[in-house]
Amino acid sequence: MLTVLIYGAVTSAILAMLAVGFTLIFGVARILNLAHGAFYALGAYCAYSLTAIFKLPLIVAALVSVALVALFGVAMERVLVRPLRQSSLAVLMITLMVALTMEQALFVVFGSQSKNVPAFINHPVNLYGVSLDGQRLLALAIAVCLIGALWLFIQRTRLGSAILAISQDPEAAQYMGIPANRIFSLVMGLSAALAGAAGVIAGPFLSVRPTMDQTAMITAFSVVIVGGLGSIPGSILAALVIGYSQTFVAFYLNPEWTGTVSLVAILLTLVLRPSGLMGRAVGA
Amino acid sequence: MRRIVPLVTSLIFAGALALSLQARAASSKPILIGLDTPIQLQVGKDTVAAVKMAVDEINAKGGVLGRKLAYVAADEGTDPQLGVSAINKLTSDDHVNVLIGGYDSGVTLAEEPHIAQSKTIWIGVGSASPNITALVGKDYDKYKYIFRVNPLNSALQAAQIVDFAKHVVKGQLGRDKVAILGESAIWVRGLVPVLVKGLEANGIKVVYQQLFDETMNDFTPLFARVKDSGAQYLLTILSHANSDVFVKQLYEARLPMPYGGIDVKSMTPNFCSRVNGAAVGETTVNFITRAPITPKTIPFWDSFVKINGRAPVYTAPGAYNSVYLYAWAVKKAGTTDADKVIKELEKADYLGVSGKIKFNKVHDDIDGTGYQNLLFVQWQKDCTRAVVWPQSVATGKVVLPPWVSK
Repeated sequence: MLTVLIYGAVTSAILAMLAVGFTLIFGVARILNLAHGAFYALGAYCAYSLTAIFKLPLIVAALVSVALVALFGVAMERVLVRPLRQSSLAVLMITLMVALTMEQALFVVFGSQSKNVPAFINHPVNLYGVSLDGQRLLALAIAVCLIGALWLFIQRTRLGSAILAISQDPEAAQYMGIPANRIFSLVMGLSAALAGAAGVIAGPFLSVRPTMDQTAMITAFSVVIVGGLGSIPGSILAALVIGYSQTFVAFYLNPEWTGTVSLVAILLTLVLRPSGLMGRAVGA
Repeated sequence: MRRIVPLVTSLIFAGALALSLQARAASSKPILIGLDTPIQLQVGKDTVAAVKMAVDEINAKGGVLGRKLAYVAADEGTDPQLGVSAINKLTSDDHVNVLIGGYDSGVTLAEEPHIAQSKTIWIGVGSASPNITALVGKDYDKYKYIFRVNPLNSALQAAQIVDFAKHVVKGQLGRDKVAILGESAIWVRGLVPVLVKGLEANGIKVVYQQLFDETMNDFTPLFARVKDSGAQYLLTILSHANSDVFVKQLYEARLPMPYGGIDVKSMTPNFCSRVNGAAVGETTVNFITRAPITPKTIPFWDSFVKINGRAPVYTAPGAYNSVYLYAWAVKKAGTTDADKVIKELEKADYLGVSGKIKFNKVHDDIDGTGYQNLLFVQWQKDCTRAVVWPQSVATGKVVLPPWVSK
C-alpha cells in the first residue's frame, strides 16, 4: 500500500508539473499551446546533450536546460504567437507547427533510439521499509517545490499580482500601466520552464524519445480539462485524481488500462461538470 | 507497286528499330528494388543500408543479367495507412520489380492485399507474425508473391525460446517458475500461447503473464506483480515497446530474478551503454552476431560496420540476404518476370549471412541445423556480449544479474 501511495504521488507530481504550465499560459494569455509537450521533450534532450556531449555536471546541465527551454518559450511567444494572438485558431495552428517541427528535428538530430538522461540519484532509497527509486522521490520533491514556488510567486509578488490582473482583464490591466505583452512572454517562459523541468527530472526514469511530446501533450490536456482550463489549483487537484487513479489501476487491476483512465476522466468531466473541477481563473 | 515495296520495307525497318530500341531500353533499365520500411527507425535505416551494400557489391560485379540494380525507399512507419501508401507509391509510381521490407506485422498485414494486387514479389525482413505467410496457403494464386526471409515467424521463435528455457533457465539456472511480460502486438499474441504450451510441456510453470500497451513507459506496477507471483525467471517479448525504460526500471526495482527473451532494441550493440549498464544480465535473442555462423557472416558484419560506422540490427542481414537471393533467383529464371522468379525462390536453398535460407510451402523461412536460428546473447560485465545458447555457437556461460543471488 505504501508503494502505491508513493508511486501515486510521483505520478501525480509529474502530471501536475506538465499541467500547471499549460493551464497557466491559457489562464493568462488565453493561448492553447500545443507545443507544450515539445517543451517537455526539449528539456529532456537538452539535459541529455549537455551531459553526454558537452560533459557538463548534471546539476549545471539541469539548470541550463530549464533556462534554455524557458528562452525558447519566450522566443516562440514573441516571434510566432504574438503576431497571431487575435485568432485563437491561428495560435493553435502555429503552436502545433512548432510541436511537429520540434519532433522531426529531434528525429533528425538524435535519431529514433531512446536516450539516457543521467539521474541525480542512481540507487534505490529505503522509505519505511519500501525500496523506491531515488530519482522518483527526488522528482516528487522537486515538483512540489517548483509548484509551491510558482504559487508563492503569483500570490505574493508584484509581478504575480500583475499576472493575476492580466488574467482577469487584460485591457483594464493595460490601462493601469501593466505591460501585457511582457507579462505574456514572462508567463510563457514560466510555463516552458516548468515543462522543461519536468522533462529533466522525469527523463531519467521515463522514455526520452522524439515522440515523447505526444504523450506529454495528451496528458497535460487531460489534466487541465478535468481541473478546469486556467485554474492552477484545479490542475493540481486533477493531477492527484488522475495520477492516483492510474496508479491504482496499474497495481490492482490491469496495467494495460492506465491509458484509459485519463480518457474516462475527461468524459466524466465533460458530462458532469464541463468547466472542470475548479473553473478557469488563475490562482482562484 | 514501285512505291509499296519501299514503303513496306521502311515500315518493317522502323518497327524493328523501335522494338530493338525498346528492348535495349528495358535491358539497360536497372532492376528496381522497392523498400517499404520505417526509415526513421533504426530497423528501417539498417534495411536501407544493407540493401545499398548488397546493391553496390552486385553492381560492382556487373549486375544481374547485364542490368544494374537500383533501389528506392518509401516510409511505411508503424502506421498501416502509411504502409499502404508506401506500397502504392513503390508499385504504381515507381514500378519496382521487387519489394523488400517490413517491420510492424500490423502494417505488413494491411499492405498485403495491395502487394498481391500489384503482383510484385515482396520479401519480408522484419515482421514476424505467422499470419503474414499463412495467406499464401489460403489463397496461393493471389498471395504467392509473399516471401519471408527474416525473422523466423513468432511461432518458430516461441519454440526456440522453449528450447532455451528448457536447457538454460531450467537446466543451467535451476529455475522452473517463469513470468512472461510482452507487448500487446499481433506478433506477440501469436507467440505467447505457443510459448506457454511449450514451457508447460517441459515442466516449466508459467505463474504470471501480462501483455501491455507498447507505449507504456512505467513498468513498476508490472514488476511488483511479477515479484509477488513467485516467478524465478522473467521472459520478455519486446519489439516496439520502450525497452530502454523497461530495462532501466527493472534495474532500479532490482527485480530479484534473471530475465531475458526477445528484446529487439537490446540487439543493438550500444544498447547496454545507452542505458548506463543497466542491461547487464539481460539475455536477448539475436539473428546475427560477429561470429562465424556461416563463412559470409564476419565479412558482412565487418563491411557493414566499416561503411556505416555501426553494427547491424536484425533487419540488416535479412535485407542483405534478400537482395542476393532475389538476384540469384532472377539469374536462374533468366528474367524478372515475377511468376518465373517465384518458381526459383520456392526451390531456393541459399547460403546467407545468418544461415541457409529455404522456404516452406507458405514461403516462410525455416529453422533447423544449418538454417536460420535464434542466438541467445547475454549482456555481461562491462557491457560485453556472450552467446549463451545454442551450445554449438556459445561463447560463454549464462550469468545472474549482479543484484541477484543464487
